[in-house]
Amino acid sequence: MSNSKLLIINGPGLSDLSSDNVTANEDLSLSGIEQKCIETSGEFGLEVDFRQNDDESELLSGLINDINNFDAFIINPAALSKSSVINYDAFSSAISEISNQSKPVIEVRIENIFKRNVSKPLQVPESGLGFIGGLGKHGYVLAIRSINKKLSNQ
Amino acid sequence: MNIYVINGPNINLLGTREPEIYGRETLEGIAIDCKEKASKDGHIVKFMQSNYEGEIVEWIQEAIMQKVDAIVINAAAYTHTSIAIHDALKSYSGYKVELHISNPHLRESFRHVSFISPAVDAVIAGLGAEGYGHVVDLLSELPIKVN
Repeated sequence: MSNSKLLIINGPGLSDLSSDNVTANEDLSLSGIEQKCIETSGEFGLEVDFRQNDDESELLSGLINDINNFDAFIINPAALSKSSVINYDAFSSAISEISNQSKPVIEVRIENIFKRNVSKPLQVPESGLGFIGGLGKHGYVLAIRSINKKLSNQ
Repeated sequence: MNIYVINGPNINLLGTREPEIYGRETLEGIAIDCKEKASKDGHIVKFMQSNYEGEIVEWIQEAIMQKVDAIVINAAAYTHTSIAIHDALKSYSGYKVELHISNPHLRESFRHVSFISPAVDAVIAGLGAEGYGHVVDLLSELPIKVN
């Protein structure tokens, strides 16, 4: 399926951007990750919108407003999942809504969050949320490949 | 690159066990897919499954001795109980990735704790049976790590 639209959102601070991942020595700037995502999406003819926002409310309203405008989603909650309950609940219901529409949605973390227990994964029961953590920028590549496969199987 | 794909208890029932959670793909199908993907670029996948915890520990020890480049492990239910598998993985220094077909964090609370996660580089869950092929593809593209 060509011309599918993918939304990639990155949460506040991107505080899990550390060297604790499979490919510790690589460049891990956000712009480097964005470039990789654009390249990978381009290989599959996916249109990609890559966002990062330190303001949780803006990030959330952006996601909620755009659920109907995109076919697949990658979410790196970064510091979000540790903060406000209201925002976490709103986030969870947005993910449920995405799943209800049978659209692929994957949580990507740059580092292995289970190693130092810095953060917990998103828990949205009965959703189709996938999880990838600890692969650095390659995690986004794997997520995009998985999403492309799912969209072509639909 | 040499890659061990190690699967734990009940995964031999894939395709018939709760297909609404785990899908209809069989383990044999997944194994063939992984091996074909890897061999295209000259990589080798050894695909294993056991219902016995000790056998899984021995395969990890074999990977250490044979200097295998990467381990992909779906320890299934042993994920939530096995300190022995955790310890074995700690001694292995190649790439190690924990994989689950479904996402354990969206399921019963007894699946929320993994003894495997702190001992590996990366965790991949909820991508379905296709997760195996995607992980093998990605590992094949990484530079070989000296171990």
